[in-house]
Amino acid sequence: MKAPIYIYYQLDNYYQNHRRYVKSRSDKQLLHGLNYRDTSSCKPEESNNGLPIVPCGLIAWSLFNDTFNFVHATKQLEVSRKNIAWKSDRDHKFGKNVYPFNFQNGTLIGGGSLNPSIPLSDQEDLIVWMRTAALPSFRKLYGRIEQDLEEDDLVEVKISNNYNTFSFGGKKKLVLSTSGWLGGKNDFLGMACIAVGSSSLFISLIFVMLHVKNPRPYGDTSYLTWNRKGISS
Amino acid sequence: MMNAMNVPSKRSTLERKLDKLILTLFGALFLMCLIGAIGSGIFISRKYYYLGLTESVENQFNPSNRFVVATLTMFTLITLYSTIIPISLYVSIEMIKFIQSTQFINKDLHMYHIETNTPALARTSNLNEELGQVEYIFSDKTGTLTRNLMEFFKCSIGGEVYGTGMTEIEWGVAAQRNGIKIEEAQKSATVVHEKGFNFDDARLMRGAWRNEPNPDTCKEFFRCLAICHTVLPEGDESPEKITYQAASPDEAALVTAAKNFGFFFYRRTPTTVYVRESHVEKMGNIQDMPYEILNVLEFNSTRKRQSVVCRYPNGRLVLYCKGADTVIYERLAHGNDALKKVTREHLEQFGSAGLRTLCLAYRDLTPDMYENWNEKFIPAKSSLRDREKKLDEVGELIEKDLILIGCTAIEDKLQEGVPSCIEILSRAGIKIWVLTGDKMETAINIAYACNLINNEMKQFIISSETDEIREAENRGDQVEIARLIRDTVKKELKKCLEESQNFLHRVAGPKLSLVIDGKCLMYALDPNLRVMLLNLSLNCSSVVCCRVSPLQKAQVTSLVKKGARKITLSIGDGANDVSMIQAAHVGIGISGLEGMQAVMASDFAIAQFRFLADLLLVHGRWSYLRISKVVTYFFYKNLTFTLTQFWFTFQTGFSGQRFYDDWFQSLYNVIFTALPVIMVGLFDKDVSASLSKRYPQLYKEGIRNSFFKWRVVGIWAFFSLYQSLIFYHFVTTSSSNGQNFSGKMFGLWDVSTMAFTCVVVTVNLRLLMICNSITRWHHISVAGSILAWFVFIFIYSGVMTPYDRQENVYYVIYVLMSTFYFYLTLLLVPVVALLGDFLYQGIQRWFFPYDYQIVQEIHRHEPDDTRRAQLLEISNQLTPDEARSFAISQLPRETSKHTGFAFESPGYESFFASQQGVYAPQKAWDVARRASMMRSKPKKSQKN
Repeated sequence: MKAPIYIYYQLDNYYQNHRRYVKSRSDKQLLHGLNYRDTSSCKPEESNNGLPIVPCGLIAWSLFNDTFNFVHATKQLEVSRKNIAWKSDRDHKFGKNVYPFNFQNGTLIGGGSLNPSIPLSDQEDLIVWMRTAALPSFRKLYGRIEQDLEEDDLVEVKISNNYNTFSFGGKKKLVLSTSGWLGGKNDFLGMACIAVGSSSLFISLIFVMLHVKNPRPYGDTSYLTWNRKGISS
Repeated sequence: MMNAMNVPSKRSTLERKLDKLILTLFGALFLMCLIGAIGSGIFISRKYYYLGLTESVENQFNPSNRFVVATLTMFTLITLYSTIIPISLYVSIEMIKFIQSTQFINKDLHMYHIETNTPALARTSNLNEELGQVEYIFSDKTGTLTRNLMEFFKCSIGGEVYGTGMTEIEWGVAAQRNGIKIEEAQKSATVVHEKGFNFDDARLMRGAWRNEPNPDTCKEFFRCLAICHTVLPEGDESPEKITYQAASPDEAALVTAAKNFGFFFYRRTPTTVYVRESHVEKMGNIQDMPYEILNVLEFNSTRKRQSVVCRYPNGRLVLYCKGADTVIYERLAHGNDALKKVTREHLEQFGSAGLRTLCLAYRDLTPDMYENWNEKFIPAKSSLRDREKKLDEVGELIEKDLILIGCTAIEDKLQEGVPSCIEILSRAGIKIWVLTGDKMETAINIAYACNLINNEMKQFIISSETDEIREAENRGDQVEIARLIRDTVKKELKKCLEESQNFLHRVAGPKLSLVIDGKCLMYALDPNLRVMLLNLSLNCSSVVCCRVSPLQKAQVTSLVKKGARKITLSIGDGANDVSMIQAAHVGIGISGLEGMQAVMASDFAIAQFRFLADLLLVHGRWSYLRISKVVTYFFYKNLTFTLTQFWFTFQTGFSGQRFYDDWFQSLYNVIFTALPVIMVGLFDKDVSASLSKRYPQLYKEGIRNSFFKWRVVGIWAFFSLYQSLIFYHFVTTSSSNGQNFSGKMFGLWDVSTMAFTCVVVTVNLRLLMICNSITRWHHISVAGSILAWFVFIFIYSGVMTPYDRQENVYYVIYVLMSTFYFYLTLLLVPVVALLGDFLYQGIQRWFFPYDYQIVQEIHRHEPDDTRRAQLLEISNQLTPDEARSFAISQLPRETSKHTGFAFESPGYESFFASQQGVYAPQKAWDVARRASMMRSKPKKSQKN
C-alpha cells in the first residue's frame, strides 16, 4: 500500500442521525465560544454546575475516544492526525479563539475529553466527529500513515478501547484504505456503473433483435383501436 | 319559473377523481406515519446512552412511555411527509386552466364567427378538461341545429323533379361515395336567393315552365301555392318590398316561392285573394287575378292538411289542398298510378335528404256539388259545441277524389356545417340526442337532415299520438288518460328494449334510434320505468325527444348523467334550454341570436354549433391530456420526493429526523419543479389541431379516460417507488467510503444535498419524457429549474445566517463539488432512475401504442409545428377588417348587449296550454318576434 494510507474507524448501529442527537449542538457557540450564551439547542448537555459547556451538546459529549497505535517491525508507525477534517469546517465552523470549557465535567462521561488549551478549530477529532454521519453505520477518518506498506507486512495495532459501544450492541471496526484521484475505494459505484452500462447494452440488443425479427412499422394503422375493433368484430 | 332550478356549481369529473387521489395520498401519508410511529415506539431505549435519555428527558423521547413517544412521533412525521400532498397542484391547475380558457379557447380563430363578430367565450375555467371526455351531447333544435329559417328548396310537379340544389346530407353522401369533397357547383346566373327561397332551376323561372311537358300542372301547382294558405301580406304591394306574415315559416316560404315563380300574392281581403300572374296567357303577359275564397278548411295536427275552396274570375270552382303525403294519398282519385308512384319516390328522396315535404292536390268542383256541401259546412262552422270535430267531418266530405299535382320540399335551414360536425362528433364516439319542443315529424325530419337518423337504422318510436290515446283524450277522463299512456309506454318500452337487445347480440345488426315524445317521456321518467328507458336509450346511437318541456330536457340530461354516469354536454340557445344547460356536466350556450339567457347559464358560449367540433376535439382533448399529465406528474414528483424521506426514517431510529434541509423541502414544489409542469399544462399536444379533427376517434381516449385511470396512476406510483429507492440507496451506499484523494468522509448533509440534487435533476428530466411536443419553453423551464436549484444552493450554502440556527448545509455544495464522486453520481443516478421509465415507455409504444402515438407516426414527416403561434393554431387568415372586428370583440363586453330574453321560444305557450287541455292560439307576438328575429339574422347573401 502506497502512502498515504488512511485509517478509519467504523461504528455500526450507532445512530448519529437520530433527531435528538443531530440537533443537540450549537453552531454559533462553536464559532463564538462563551460569547454566545444561548445554548438551549444543546439540551441535555448545555451546562454543568451552572456553567456553560463548550462545546455543548450531545454530539460533542459523546466524542469518540479510542486510540490506535500502529507498530510495524517493532517500529512505531507515524500517524498524522492533522488535516483529517474538511477545510471549510476548520476555517468557518469552529472558532480559532474558542477553547473547550467545562467539558466532560459532569457525573456522566459520554466520551473523550478535549485539551482546554487547544482551540476548537485545531481539534480535528472533534470536527470530524461533529460532521454527523448519514447512516447508522459510518466511517470516520482517524489519521494517515505517511509511509508505504509492502505486501505481507505485519502491522500490529494497539487499541485502547475507551469508547462504549457495548451497551447498545454496536460494533467497532478499523479500516485501512488508500485513495486515488477519484477518491477512496468505492466498489458500489463502480459496480453500479458497470451494471447499468451492461444492462443498457443488453436492453438495446434486445430491442435491436426485436426490430430485426419482429418490426413494428411506423404508423401501422392496424394498431389503431378503432381498426383493431373492426377486425375483431 | 316552474322550470327554474338551483344553479349548480360545476366541477369536472377529472377534478373529482383527483380528490379521490388526494384522499388516497392522505391514506398513504397516514400509513407511512403509522409505520414510523410504531417503529419509534419500539426503537427508543436507554441503551443508546449517547442520546442522553435520562429520567428527565422530554416526553418525545422518553423510553418509559413508548406510547406517548409513538403518538408524538406520529405528528412529527406528518409534518415531515406532508410533501406527499401536492398542495401547489390546485394552484397550478387553476393557473393552467385559466390560461387555457382565456388564451386558447377565447382566442381561437377557428371558433370565431365573423358574421356576428362573436368569438368563443369560456365563462368558467373549471371545465376545460371535461370537454375532452364528453360522451353524450344533448342538443336543442331551433337556433342550435337549425336557423329557424324555412326555404323553398325543391319541388316535384307532375312527376318531374325541379330544383338543382343539394342539401348538406347529399353533399356528405356524395363525398363519401366519391371519396373526395366536390367543389360546390357554380350557381347559375338565374339563381334567385331571398329569405325563404333557395331554389335554382331555370326550367321553372321566368315563365320557362310553359315549355315543360305539362305546363297546366305547373300552373295548378303555382296557383295552389299562391291561393291555398293563411298568410297575410304586409307593406308595399311590390314583389321586392312585400313581407308575408304567416303562422309558420313554411307557409311564408311557399308563398314566397309562388311569388318567384311569377304568381305574386299581394292582397288579401276577407273573401278574396289577389294574385298577380305573369306569363300565364302568353310570355311576358302580366295580369291581376282576384280569386274568391269561399271556404277555408284549416290546418290542425289531426287533419294534417289545409284546403281552400275558391272561385276563379271565370267561375271555375276549385278546391286546393296541401298536406302530409299520408293524408293526401288516402284521398286521391283513382287512376294515374304512375304519377302517384313517381311522386312517392320523390317524396322519399326528399325525405331522406332531410327536407320537409308537403303534397299538393286539387279538385274541380261543380256548382251543385259545392252548394250541397256548403249547406252542411255552414251549420258546422257556426255550431257551438264540438265545432272542430264537426268541421273535420265536413271536411272529409269534400276533400276526396283529389288530383295530385306534386309536392314541395322545404329545407329547414340548418346552421352552417351542422351535419358534418355531427358526423365528426359521432365518429369521435359521442352520442347526440336531440331534445326539442317541436312536433315529432319536424324533429324526425331534422334528425334526418343532420344525419342522426337514416333509413338503414332501426327506429323505435314511442308516441302518444295513437288512436287509442286520442280517443281517450276525447272522452276527457284525465285519470284514464294517464293510466292508458302509462301502460302504453311501459308496453312499448319493454318491447323496444327486448328488440334492441336482440339487435345488439347480432353481429351486423343495424344501428338503433329512439324517438319519444314529451307526454310519453313524462311517464317513462317515472322511477319504475326510468331504468328501462335508460337501458333502451343507451343501446341507441341516436335519440330524439320531441315536444319536451324545459324541465324534461333537464330530467333526461340528469338521467344519463346520474343513471349512466357518463359525461354529458348540453347545448342550446334559448331560455328554455337553461335548465338543461345547468343540469349537464358541461353547458354550452349559442351566443348571438336568441338573447343571453342560455349564455348566462352556460359554461362555454360559442356562436355556431359547428364550433363544437373544435371545442371538444381540439381544446377539450388537449386540455384533458394536459391536465391528466399535470396531475399524474405532480403525484409522481411528490411521491418520489417523500418516499426518499420515508426510507431515511428507517435508518434514523424512526426519530423523525429530516433527510433534507427545511428550505430544500419547502422550495421543492415552489421553485425547483414548478414551472416545467405548467409548461406541459399549457403547451403539450400530441397531434396538431387539424389532425385532431381528421382523426376524431382520438377523442375516444378521453371518453375511456385512458390517461387518468387508476392503472395509469398505479404505474406512476410504481415508478416513483422505484426511483425513490434508487435515489436513496444509490446515494447513501455510494457515499459511505472516503470521497476524495485526502480520504475525508461525507456527513449527513452532504449526502442529503447529493440526493436532493439527483431528485431535482431526475424529476425535471422525467418531465421531458412525458412531453409530446417539446418547445423552447420546455427547454427554458426545465433548464431554468435545474439551474435555479444550483443557484440557490450556491448562495444558500455560501452564507451563514446571523440568527441562531444550525448551519447544516454551510459549504456543503462546495465540498461536494470538489469531489469526482459528485459528478459521477449525478450522471449515474438519474440514468438508473430513468432507465425504468424509459424501458416502460419503449415497450408501451412498441407493443401497446396509444392511438395518438400511431397518428403521430403516420404524420411524422409533416413539418413539426411546435412553435407557439401554431400551438395556438392562429393562422393569419383574417382580412384587416375582420381582424379589427375580432380585436373589438376581444374587448370587455358591454353589459347592455342584451336582447329581449323575456320571450319564450315560439309555440311554447300554446304547447303547454294544449297539454293541459286549454286551447291557446299562436300569440301575435310570437309571430312578430320570429319575424323580427329572422330579419336580424346576418344576410349571407351579402357575402356571396
